Parts: sequence; C-alpha cells; structure tokens
Amino acid sequence: MSGSNPDHRTINAGQSLADDATRLDGLAKATGAARYSRDHLREDMQWVRLIRCPWGKATLESLDRDAALAVPGVTEVVISGDAGDYDGDSIGYLVAESRRALERGLDALDARWARAECKTSIFDDARVRAPIGETEGDAADAIEASDFTFEATYSTPVQTHSSLETHGMMIEPDGEGATVHASTQGTFLVADQIGRFLGKRRSRIVVDCEYIGGGFGSKFQIGKEGAAAGLAAKRSGGPVYSFCDRREEHLDTGNRPSLLCKVKLGHDADGTIRGARIETFGGTGVSRRGGGARIPSGRFDLGEIDGRNHQDVQFNAGGPRAMRAPGCPQGAFVEELMLDEIAHRCGIDPLALRRRLDDSERRGAMYDVAARLIGWSERPDTGSQDGPMRTGYGIATCDWGKGRAPAKIEVVVHPDGHLEVRTGTQDVGTGQRTAMGAVVAERIGVPLANVSVAIGNSRLPSGPASGGSVCTPSTAPAAMAAADLARDRILADVAERDGLDPTTLRIDDGVVKSGDRSIVRWEDACKRLAEPISVMGEFDGRPNAYWGDGSSEGVQAARVEVDCETGQVFVREVVAIQSCGLPLVRKPAESQIIGGVIQGASYALFEEQILDPATGAVLNANFENYKVLGAKDCPKIIPVLWRDGQTGARALGEPPVIPTAAAIANAVFNAIGRPVRDLPLRPDRVLAALAEPVPERIATATTTKTEVRA
Amino acid sequence: MNPFAYTSPKSTGEASSLATSKDHSLPVLKSGGMDLLDRMKEGLDTPGLVIDLTRIDDPALDRIEAGRIGARATLAAVSDDEAIRESAPMIAQACGSAATPQVRNVASVAGNLLQETRCWYWRMERFDCVRKGGEGCPAREGEHRFHALFPEGPCLMVHPSNLAPALLLLDGSVDVVGGPRTSIPMADFQPDPARDWRSTSVLAPGEVVTAIRFDPAPNSGFVALKQKQSFDWPMVSGYAVLDLDGDVIRSARTCAGAVAPRPRLLPAVDAALAGVSIRDDAAIRKACDAATEGAAPLPGTIYKKTLLPVAIRRAVMAAANPGGDA
Repeated sequence: MSGSNPDHRTINAGQSLADDATRLDGLAKATGAARYSRDHLREDMQWVRLIRCPWGKATLESLDRDAALAVPGVTEVVISGDAGDYDGDSIGYLVAESRRALERGLDALDARWARAECKTSIFDDARVRAPIGETEGDAADAIEASDFTFEATYSTPVQTHSSLETHGMMIEPDGEGATVHASTQGTFLVADQIGRFLGKRRSRIVVDCEYIGGGFGSKFQIGKEGAAAGLAAKRSGGPVYSFCDRREEHLDTGNRPSLLCKVKLGHDADGTIRGARIETFGGTGVSRRGGGARIPSGRFDLGEIDGRNHQDVQFNAGGPRAMRAPGCPQGAFVEELMLDEIAHRCGIDPLALRRRLDDSERRGAMYDVAARLIGWSERPDTGSQDGPMRTGYGIATCDWGKGRAPAKIEVVVHPDGHLEVRTGTQDVGTGQRTAMGAVVAERIGVPLANVSVAIGNSRLPSGPASGGSVCTPSTAPAAMAAADLARDRILADVAERDGLDPTTLRIDDGVVKSGDRSIVRWEDACKRLAEPISVMGEFDGRPNAYWGDGSSEGVQAARVEVDCETGQVFVREVVAIQSCGLPLVRKPAESQIIGGVIQGASYALFEEQILDPATGAVLNANFENYKVLGAKDCPKIIPVLWRDGQTGARALGEPPVIPTAAAIANAVFNAIGRPVRDLPLRPDRVLAALAEPVPERIATATTTKTEVRA
Repeated sequence: MNPFAYTSPKSTGEASSLATSKDHSLPVLKSGGMDLLDRMKEGLDTPGLVIDLTRIDDPALDRIEAGRIGARATLAAVSDDEAIRESAPMIAQACGSAATPQVRNVASVAGNLLQETRCWYWRMERFDCVRKGGEGCPAREGEHRFHALFPEGPCLMVHPSNLAPALLLLDGSVDVVGGPRTSIPMADFQPDPARDWRSTSVLAPGEVVTAIRFDPAPNSGFVALKQKQSFDWPMVSGYAVLDLDGDVIRSARTCAGAVAPRPRLLPAVDAALAGVSIRDDAAIRKACDAATEGAAPLPGTIYKKTLLPVAIRRAVMAAANPGGDA
C-alpha cells in the first residue's frame, strides 16, 4: 500500500498567509444563496436561442420563417446563413417572450437540412496517417549517433469544458446604458465586446459576474450566444436572456483540441536521450488554429530537437478555445509516458531518469517528497505482475510561467472599522474573494471578519481576466498596496491624536500597539473618522523583490489498480505537489490542486467527444455519455503546497491539471507492463494493450546499434 | 417539450381508464418520471396527457416484502430493504447499482423495467432507425461500443434495465391491472426482438403495472462492469442464482445484461456449472467461458466478449458468498 498516507492539512499547516480562513462565499454557494449570472431572471425578459445545424456538414434546404413568427410570443427570427460546417454551427437566432414560445417557434421554423460528406476525425487527413517524416538538422545526427532509436505514436481526445453553468448572459438595457450579467472570466473583456452588438458606448455598460459556475478558458469571449443577446436587446430595448443548453455547451463553446503526436528519438543504453523528432497534429475542428501542444516541455533534456513540426488539422466539429493550461496536459502525457518507456527499455527507474534529465532544483526536492508520500519504494517492476488486480505507480511533472498584469484594488475604511475591498476582477473559482479579503486583513492586522469583498463588476477598479493563472499574482500585490495605504492612514491619525511616533505603531489582531502597549482598538481608531476613507492600491504588473519573478513548478505521483480481466483502471491515490510562491489562503489553494487532479484524472480515464462517423453529429453532448469522473471514481488526493521560502503569489490555477493524466498513464504502464498510448485509458484499450507482448528491454551491456520499433 | 395535460388519478383503475381515454393523444403513465422527462425533452415522446401515479393512495404500490415489490417502490428503497437483501440479494444489488443516489431515490422498479434503450442514436431525435419505425441502424457502421454482443433482429440496442435480468432468472412476473390478465411472466414481458424490435414491453394501453413478484434466492449475485463507478450503465452485467450442496453447485442459472436487446439467459454456462465446486476456480472459469457462445461482436464490441465471462464468474462467486465482498 501507499507510504505514510498523510493528512495534507498537517503537511500544509503554516505554509499559507491565511491558514484557517474559510471561503467568504462558501455558505452562499453551498446553500444556493449565491446568485450566478444564469440566475438573473425577469418576468418581462425575452429568450434567445440560436438556430443550429444538426450535422457535421449540411446546407439549409428550407425553413418557415413566417410560421415561426406566427407562433404567439415569438418576436424575432433572424437568419444570417444557409449552411453549417459542424454539429452546433449556427445560422441565426430566434427571440421569444418565453422559453415555451421559443421552443414552439423553433419547431414551427421546421429547418430542413441536406447533409453533405464530412470529416469526423483527424485520421481523415493523409498527413496524420503518414509515417513520421525524415528528421532534419542536428537532431538527425544526434539520433544517428545514439545507440538505439525509439518510435511511437500517441493520441489524446477532444475534451470539452463542460461548465456546469453554461455560457451566456442576461442583459438589462436601461436607457443609454445596460447591465450585463455574464458568465465570464473577464468582466472587462465583456464590456469591450458587447457594446457593438448592443449599440451602446462602453462607458455606459456595466458587466456583472458575482459568481461563475465553471470557467476553464472558454469564457473570455461573449460567443455567438452573447452576440445574439446583444443584438436582441438592442432591437427590443428590454431585458434579454441567452444561455446555452447542455447540448450546446458541449458543441459550440470551445474545447481542448485533440492531439496526435509522432515521436522518433535516439537514446543510449543508460537512458541518455541524444535527440528527437517530434511531429504534432492538433485536431481543431473547423478552426484553423489553436491545436498546439507543449512538447517538448523544456523540463527535460532531450538532446537535439527537431520539433517545429506542428500542423492543425480540420474536421467538421466545433473549434477549440483555451482550456486550463492549453496544450500542456496533452504534451505532458506524451512526453512523460515516452520517458517511462525509455526508462523501461533501459531498465532504469523512471524517477531516476527524471532526476537525470530534469535540472530544476525545486522539482528535484519535490521528487523526493512525492516518492515518499506515494510509497514509490513499493513500486513493482514494470511488467512483473500477474494476477487480475495489478498495482502501478507513476510520476509526472509540470511548470507554469510567471505572467502578471496591472491591477488596481480599492479599500474603503468605514468609521465602524469595517473594511470594504473592491475589485472588478471576477472569481473564476479560485477563491478570489477570500484571497483578497485575507491579504487585506492579514496585512492590516485585523480579523477577516472585519472585511467584505466586492468583486466581478466592471464598475469596480480594473484588474485582469482570469487567464494564464495571472489573476491572484496580479491582484494580491494591489490588495497589499491598498492595505498598506489604509493602515498607514489610520495609524497616522492615531499617532497624531495620541502624540506618538507613527513608525512605532502596528496593528495586531485588531489592536493598535506601540511596542507591547495597546493604544486603541481598531474599531475605536476608525470611529474617529468623519466619513469613510478610500484608498487605491496599484500594481504595475512588473516583477519586484517581494513578488518575485519565478515560475510555478509541480510533481505529481499516482497509484492505480488495474483490473486486468476487465481493463478497468482505478486511480487510488494522487500526491500533488505544487509550488505557487506564497499560498494566500490554504483551503482554496489546496482546492485548486484538488480540482486540477480531478479534472486531470477525468481526462485520463473518461472524457472524449464522440462524433458519428457518417454524419458528424456529436453522440455524447450530455452528461450521460460524455463521461466525467464521479465521486466513486475519485482518488484520494494529497495536495501539497510547496513554499520553500518564496514570498510573492504565483500561478496556481492551471499547473495542477498538467501532470495528472501523464502520471496515471505511467502508473498503468507500470501495472500492466504495456504502455497505453491513447487517452482516455478505456477498458477496451487496456485490454487491447494487455494482448500485446511486454516491450523488450535493452540489456545494459549491449552496445550494438539496434532498431527497436515500439 | 410539447405542451401536455397533467392528471394525478386516485387509483390504478382510474389511471388505467385515463390511459385509454380518447380525449388526449398518446397518454403516458409516469411514476418517478426519470426516463420520461429525458424522452420528452428530446421530443422522442410527445404525450398529450401525463398520468402521474405518485398521488395514488395505495400503500401496496410502495410495499416491499420477500418475493414481492410494489411497482412504485424506489430503487433506493429496494436496495436498502433487509428482507430483499437476504432473500434475493441479486435484486437489491441490481437496484443499488443503477445510476446515482439521487436517481435511485426517485426512480421506481416499474420504471426501471420499462426504461427505454440508452442507444445514443435512438436517444437523438434527428436520427432515424428501425426502432423508431424507420430504416436501418446507424450504430451498425457507426459508434457502437455500448451496443449488442448478441444482436437479435435489425436493432443493435442492449436492454438497459438492471432489474429485468434478475427478475427473469428468479421466474419473476409482473402484476398488472386494467386488462384481461392480472399477471405477465417476466419471460413474456418483452416481445421477441427478432420479430418486434420497437416495443419495450407487451403491455397494452391501459395496463398498469402494480407489482413485481419473484422466487426467493438467497444464493444469488449481481455484478456490473462499468467504465465509471458513479453514474454509468454497465458495459456488461452478470447475474447468477445457485442451488448449492455445500460447496458444490447442484444447479445454476445465469444471465447477462447489456449484451443483447433483452436479458440473455446462458443455458450453456448453467449446464457446465452443474456439479462444479465453487472452490474449483479452473472449472468455474471454463464453465463461464461458455457465456460467449453465439457471440457476434461488432468491431466496437469485441471487448465485451472479454468482459462477459468475467462478469458471469464474478456473479457466480457473489451468489456463492452472499453478503461477502462482491
């Protein structure tokens, strides 16, 4: 079994700025009191629904616009096209006074489509089916000079965002202005985008997103559902509601593109990799771009790389959008499984191989901890087990950049001692509200109970969109600057009134002190204010001594059991070590890691968009057949916040999703002795792999050049 | 979803009359309504009248006792019932494995038996197929990984109910009111899919299921092999009922779910298991391998051929050790 099976709360105690704070909005979310954008309903609002193509490729033969307009309650039918290039592609929209009228209107419209031939897989493309090309440049010489070559092809599926709150918005026009309740990762971006559809000046548009039910990179743009809402609101001048239904959410709101990767590399018997050719093909649906994968990651020394060989491949399905660490989980799956295959061929422990190829000191230390916590010493030899239930251990890595953006945060100090923190930046689920409150409370020296936080509104001070994991690293410095200004202002008042030197004053647990002497309670100090005071903290987005300039790094280790009679993979435990500079609030920080592991495990085992090969219709655009990891499938997860003295807040949202699928795939390889090179790791694929022989090992004494095709 | 009239009769007799009333098109009976709601939203069912059975004041419809379960009893209530767990563990296990706790708290046993196929082509209104009265089967050349290993007739669906194979093995029957008969043997509850591939059951309009009955079988077991352990339909499921003489199987009856358009009895396995000791792993394996006799896998269902003997063997072992780790 696993190592010490520790409690992550013990491991993480004392690592964060606010260890015991609970989410300020936890109760509201748990009880349903939290009002999401989708919850903004009005009796008098109009409903919008896009008219969508039901097939992979089709032309409109006929529709009955008059019949739709004749349906009581239908107010507008807009047709702007007559062909669709994927299931869910739109040719216009319908507006109605009720959801019922909307559905009856769509029925009456009776759109008839003539289906055409379509592509439903990247394998329909000859470039994908072709063997790997000739290696070019220095990599060719490096591979030639190495003892062995290794070739393999890997693939990953299209993963949809599956946001529980679907994409959309509710618009309330009000004379010259409008309030837009959008489910968005970028309140200010929506304000930029919606104006031209609404026909209103940006300065008159207020975008509001107090809570969001899922945003992993696909909610930066307003989408067709938002554009239609804007146009409908402009025409009617009244409130308009436009949200995707569950099926539309799977079809037309972006996805993580599929990947096919061909690898040829040269290595020596000791595991040294001298060079590699890497070809990647991104399955981008109808989009011309967006299918890139991050491989090589740069985390490992793979020698000379011939790696600028990426092509996006089109087929008849909805296109990609950024999804939590775009390009990274698929790249990590390929690279890390490939490393384990090399390690196996050379008879080397995959952890030892990583230590050799990875020069990050921080990850070096993380490897030790991950190995101890998962119980790596009990890892069996790959392919050594028989019996129906086999255990496997796998390890994989991640890193994430150091992006930051300018941000402003306002703090209002009320005469009753209450602190109001105000930022227009939304909470994409990371705990923005709590983090900002905790920074201000900790920095000033008062309990978090003194603080309330207003977020997610474009009237509030500006900040970044929730992308690239920059939000917390950008807003935390602004919050700290605002807290310093507010504290210094109050302390200056106290010093002046009591004739003290302000530099001797500090605030400790809500009491202003000079040395050990208590001067006045925070609330009483604030009572002296004639009216609330407001200060604005600003961060310019540039690195500095406190906030640092480093990236986030991580190592994850997985323990699985594979039922070799059925091909079922059970992920039992994942240890997820992640650095993020200074974690601000322990619980939501751990929650980011846990959420990343869950999403990554779901990607490893279950998720894939399935198209009907004949018609291009998506067969699983629902939660019955688009399988997402459930409670019984969830491993024990041990999130480890890795601080090692770092100060500034760094990226945490995206990196934890990167290594999970790779670690699980490596654990499955360890358990069954054969690599499964295609995600998801379905029972049929595991059974097919088990029918193959265990890949041969290279005797370490061998020096003759051998061609082994994997 | 189309507009529909809604009524909640006070008795099964009234429900039966309403179901044959000419005042509304396509009247439909509803208990938990789990499957009906999905079908109505997709436009597969367009009832003019929904007859809600949940207001009928008749405790017998909810009562659970050894050998008899009221039609309206929830899957959760059945799986938690001590009498069922002891007298027919396979029934309790089959009900407890379906869907999610939320669904099991609402879904009824009759609704589970009458659930429509999960075939994703059938479930999408835009696809035509033989089961809808049209032409062909899009699954045949399409994506059919969850379809039949033993096709019967032109439709490649698999029967979706966890409960139906268990009832069939226990010589079960279905109590009905509102028609000329009062009971339908489980073996006759579904028409032969090779002749009638459109009907879920032989129930006539106006016939209302009031209970299911079955023989006790303390040595019975159920195993579902699912891709996901939360909220998934089985890839293959196995059912076994044993008559044991000590460790020796005097006689066995086995059945497979999710491999054919109806529960598939496995007489070849039953014959091979007779006289075998439950401790004789090799003999049990050999016997269960007979489960795949007659299999006609499609390219995408070949893996089910591997799963089937495993599901049956594990069901046999569960039947031999009721209350043990299944």
